[in-house]
Amino acid sequence: MVWISSRWKILAMVAPALILFTLFVVYPVAYSLGFSFTKFRGFGNPDFIGFDNYGALGQDPFFWRALQNTLIILVVGVVVLVPGSFALALLLRRKVAGAGLLRALVFGPAIIAPILVGLIWVFILDPKIGLLNRFLGFAGLPSVQWIGGDTLTPYAVALVFIWSSIGFAMTIFYAGRQLLPHDVMEASELDGATGFQQLRYVTIPMMRETFAIVTILMITNVFKIFELVYMLTGGGPVHRSETLVSYMYFTTFTNQKYGLGMALAVIITVLGAVVSIAYLALSRERKAS
Amino acid sequence: MSFPFTIRVAAAVIAASATMGGLAACSSSNSSPSDGPTTISLSMQNPDVKTADPATWAIVQAFEKENPNIKVEVTGEAVAEHLQKLSIAAQSDTLPDVFWVYKSNAEEMLQGGKVMNLGPVLGDLGLTNKFPKSTVSNFTSGDAVYGVPYQGLLTGLWYNKKILQDNGLQVPTTFDELLAVAKKLKEKGITTISDGANQSSFSVWSFLTDLDRFGYADKVQGILKGTQSYDNPDFVHLYEHIAELRDAGAFASNVSTQTYQQAVDQFTSGKAAMLDAGVWASSAIQKSSVAGSVGFWAGPQFKDGVGSQNIIMNVASAPLVVSAKVSKDNAKLAAVKKFLAFYYGDAAQQLLVDNGQPPVTTYKPKVDATAQSALKSALDAATQSGVTSPESQPDLLVSTTVANAMYDSIYGVIQNQLSPKQAVALVQQAIQSK
Repeated sequence: MVWISSRWKILAMVAPALILFTLFVVYPVAYSLGFSFTKFRGFGNPDFIGFDNYGALGQDPFFWRALQNTLIILVVGVVVLVPGSFALALLLRRKVAGAGLLRALVFGPAIIAPILVGLIWVFILDPKIGLLNRFLGFAGLPSVQWIGGDTLTPYAVALVFIWSSIGFAMTIFYAGRQLLPHDVMEASELDGATGFQQLRYVTIPMMRETFAIVTILMITNVFKIFELVYMLTGGGPVHRSETLVSYMYFTTFTNQKYGLGMALAVIITVLGAVVSIAYLALSRERKAS
Repeated sequence: MSFPFTIRVAAAVIAASATMGGLAACSSSNSSPSDGPTTISLSMQNPDVKTADPATWAIVQAFEKENPNIKVEVTGEAVAEHLQKLSIAAQSDTLPDVFWVYKSNAEEMLQGGKVMNLGPVLGDLGLTNKFPKSTVSNFTSGDAVYGVPYQGLLTGLWYNKKILQDNGLQVPTTFDELLAVAKKLKEKGITTISDGANQSSFSVWSFLTDLDRFGYADKVQGILKGTQSYDNPDFVHLYEHIAELRDAGAFASNVSTQTYQQAVDQFTSGKAAMLDAGVWASSAIQKSSVAGSVGFWAGPQFKDGVGSQNIIMNVASAPLVVSAKVSKDNAKLAAVKKFLAFYYGDAAQQLLVDNGQPPVTTYKPKVDATAQSALKSALDAATQSGVTSPESQPDLLVSTTVANAMYDSIYGVIQNQLSPKQAVALVQQAIQSK
């Protein structure tokens, strides 16, 4: 008899994935981490400077602005997106005429490349040529600097992020709701639970894992926002609308400060991981209690 | 039927070796044969050289036609990707044979022995004297000439004569006149200077020339050495003037979300009186409906400026450099020499002009006054009696980081995000953080 569970056979089976993971994930991350301790402009040799890049970021007002913008987008995005997409999923699973078409329409923005999403929304939000300000003009209201100013841009980016992600999140909720056991739902109805009670005490608790997945996905997606900012404002004016990733791109490739850019990349990775793990820990604690 | 494990492993190793061997054989059979045409690689900062840089494309086509035994393999990416690619290539010693790169990066590459000293080559080809002296000195570090000019950088403000005439205005000469024009046009809802900061923060060419009207050329070495500061009263005055223009409504309200291309479109569609750009925009202007009424202005003269005010920015742009590896391959070196001789020969310089670029040598081009009226107006402005040019555009004399801070400082004031004092402090901070 041949035992598959012997240690070396398991190792041999895991090895291809492990090698690929090391090559394409561990190595680049370690490489970036190493570069984050250097002063490197892309040409010549990198000079080891310890934690100087991290110190420089701490004193860089544009970094703090980018972090603030990212957090605004994160809070607005997650607070609106998670309940919004869940509500949409519940709404669109009802057996009404055109529900399938509506689901497809809501999902539509999720299949548009983010760079095109940014382009579309420039024509809506631009303070001079944008559709929104034209409507305000027709209504006799003053124009608003939706993008390109120094206050509303992160909220505008959050709005566009919600628009482009809500269909995807809704689909996950929709699938999660479809998987709930029918007999449990039927039992709660027989017990006389109202629609709200069923939602509050059966549906939501049973979909806790789906909520966790959607939230984690949205958090990690917020930490990856780049194209939306690039198309809407290019990070301007004067880096006022940068997110962490767009500012990392500027620092690394436009400003050619590779070491500083890699330090920023490490911070983004750590922040994304910390926020996601903290959320997972919180939701597990809640589940256990 | 099953084989023992050792046999299976041996078979796998043999199969893998055979595959690798096959791949290696394919690879070696694809390398250039020694008796075939010599290929030189030319790597540029445009994703589509054929359409975005027709002048270079035309020169390459003409060169290949004249030299059927030399093939020029043209590739290109947007600036950031191009530089990233060069950075990786420099580390792996696989730089393209000839490539565009920023002056500050070229100097670093020279120090690292990655690019060729072109001094002897230019001497052999008799090209040194064909360039303006300032061009050669601009691309010289120590005794080594590390680059040759890619294209000319003739920048200023394109203006629409019709818009000015329709509003009873003359083409301004001084800053005060420009300010008066901006105020008058604002009343009519017309943008005076079309600029676009989104994804193109570098598009502040006319204001970079203004820095030279406040003594930048004399100050820059001191600023970089730390004996002078960018945060000085003269530069603050310039930024105050930019703020005055902003307050007079000279710029579009969406200057921060508009791209450079949209700024060009704004001008070519007759919605702006002036365009902050350079001679490269002449082709787009020539094809537009405003072509017949367009002129080129060197920019305003300031009564509180420092040094000569009658200047125009007519300098070499970033250089083309040659990989040091080329000097070790005789066939390639000969091909690159032929390419350089062709590129800076009169026929190629005329091709530059035919494609809306000024010549970078001392060649006197033939310009069709009707079909190339926009280009002609720019070339005429550059050769007006008494007008001189700085040796280099201000941002090309500093590192990329400082150059980006300069762009941010100018757009920061234009977009009312920075006060003049904050703007100069931002650049000074970038210089100190170097």
